[in-house]
Amino acid sequence: MESHVGASYQVARRPRRPARYWIARAVLYGVLILFALYVLVPFMWVIFTALKSNYEIAQDPLGLPPNWRFENLAQAWNQGKFSRYFINSVIVTVPIVLLVVSLSCLAGYGLARLKMPGRMLIFYFFLVGLMVPFTAIMIPLFYILRDIGVLGTYWAMILPQTAISLPFGIFFMRAFFSGLPYDLTDAAKIDGCNDFGVFRRVMLPLAGPAVAALVVFNFMGSWNAFLLPLIYLQSDKLRPVMTGMMFFTTRWGPDYSMSMAGTLIVMAPIMAVYLVFQRQFIQGLTAGAVRG
Amino acid sequence: MTDSIRQVFANRKLRDYATGYAFVIPALVMYVIFVVYPFFYTIYLSLTKWDGAKPVKEFVGFLNYERLFADPRLWSALSHNLIWIVLGTVTPVAIGLFLGVLLWRGLRGMVFFRTVYFLPVVLAPVAVGIIWKWMYNPQFGPINSTLRAVGLDVLAKGWLGDPYVALPALIFAGVWGYFGFCFVVIMAGLQNIDMEQIDAALVDGANGPQRLWYIIIPGLRHVLTMITAFTLILGVNVFDIIWITTRGGPGRATHVIATYTYNTAFRESYVGYGSALAIVMGTVSLVVSFIFISIRERGGD
Repeated sequence: MESHVGASYQVARRPRRPARYWIARAVLYGVLILFALYVLVPFMWVIFTALKSNYEIAQDPLGLPPNWRFENLAQAWNQGKFSRYFINSVIVTVPIVLLVVSLSCLAGYGLARLKMPGRMLIFYFFLVGLMVPFTAIMIPLFYILRDIGVLGTYWAMILPQTAISLPFGIFFMRAFFSGLPYDLTDAAKIDGCNDFGVFRRVMLPLAGPAVAALVVFNFMGSWNAFLLPLIYLQSDKLRPVMTGMMFFTTRWGPDYSMSMAGTLIVMAPIMAVYLVFQRQFIQGLTAGAVRG
Repeated sequence: MTDSIRQVFANRKLRDYATGYAFVIPALVMYVIFVVYPFFYTIYLSLTKWDGAKPVKEFVGFLNYERLFADPRLWSALSHNLIWIVLGTVTPVAIGLFLGVLLWRGLRGMVFFRTVYFLPVVLAPVAVGIIWKWMYNPQFGPINSTLRAVGLDVLAKGWLGDPYVALPALIFAGVWGYFGFCFVVIMAGLQNIDMEQIDAALVDGANGPQRLWYIIIPGLRHVLTMITAFTLILGVNVFDIIWITTRGGPGRATHVIATYTYNTAFRESYVGYGSALAIVMGTVSLVVSFIFISIRERGGD
């Protein structure tokens, strides 16, 4: 045993790297690169194929584009009505994120810090919503939205998507506000702040990182939503990117180069935003699993 | 004197309560109208026979539920969910753990690998589905093209057109879009593992698998439970990636409970029976969540 300890000390003091070390390194990097290729190859292929003509795809489906035909993207953008779909996505996503975040902050704060009878009961009532899948409510929601007259407007997506996102938002913000020290609120109250003042001037400014995570989480949730607009935003004028994409690929199915260009158009913006705001994305998207 | 003080105090208390409720009520109203009420409405619809258009919903009691048990399409859909849950949970969690353990002590290029592995996670499941639909394309898809290029023409096939291959092929696509998520969460969990324990184990001569089994996995217990629960529930609810690629086909080979419910209620207009299916799905989701919550509570975290 002692000789073992001695040996490891020696290695630590004077790192001599034997062949075994380099072989282990090579295997390690080999494995990591293999998984990186698993991820990257489909991306590369989408990009390459989107920039070829149909003839070039048939000639050589795997290789680099012989001519980089960026005009494919412009053509798909125009013929696929993607500007309409993107505008629609923005029109529904912005109010959803604003509503979810503001309602979750208010309710999360109330349930964490304010006194009221039945506080825990209300909290558990919201928590049950975390376990109800959208499928379990999607059918009557269609008729409810029809009866209140919002089917055929953007509200048909904004209202239900906001509501189904609230349980997690409230759970998340409540956990955050519960963790803040009480001294702060007491000090503000002595200075004459009422409850809303404490919330707006003291607590909300501290909630920046939590709010940012919630924004990313809900932005991705509603931007990427598919089943919900598939049911409630059926009119082509209202269609957001995800369902618009589906109709685009169905219509242009046999036209490979158009289809891939459309796919690239849908992928590119979100990838670009991710590469810039990587840290926020990773924090926001994993917030659900890490704290949930 | 005391009376008036008491009255002021009581009013103040009431005012405090009113403030509290004012914070909560906007969210509560949205939640009740668009989540809670529809949920009970689904239960009601599941007891009726309705096509979504007739003015009268015919009340049929538990007839829809009796039909469920005899419905082979439901059982085949549920079995596909089960396959999706098992393969679609074990694989990405295992890959995430494997890569996490390889990378957790830091390595040159670590940020690069993390960026790349997380890349598909930001894509919508719809986009993942569309990409892989092209990957599997029988004529020009890169998988078949590669197989033909290296002379393995026999293996080239219409991946999503073959009832035996379609479901595993879709799961493979799902894993592509998801393992990076498991990897990042597991990496975060690994940061909390006590290095001294690992060093002590090294001194005692514990080999790699022993360190993994006795120190790393117990240290990650909480994270692994969370991510497994999360992934399981995704597996119960999977819809997008299947609907955009195969719509449940070929035949019924890739139908899961969500696609079957959607198809029944909205495309075939059996609203009552579709609602019964939705209740089955809600129940499965609830049971899975509940089991995991109790496991966590018992784990004493």
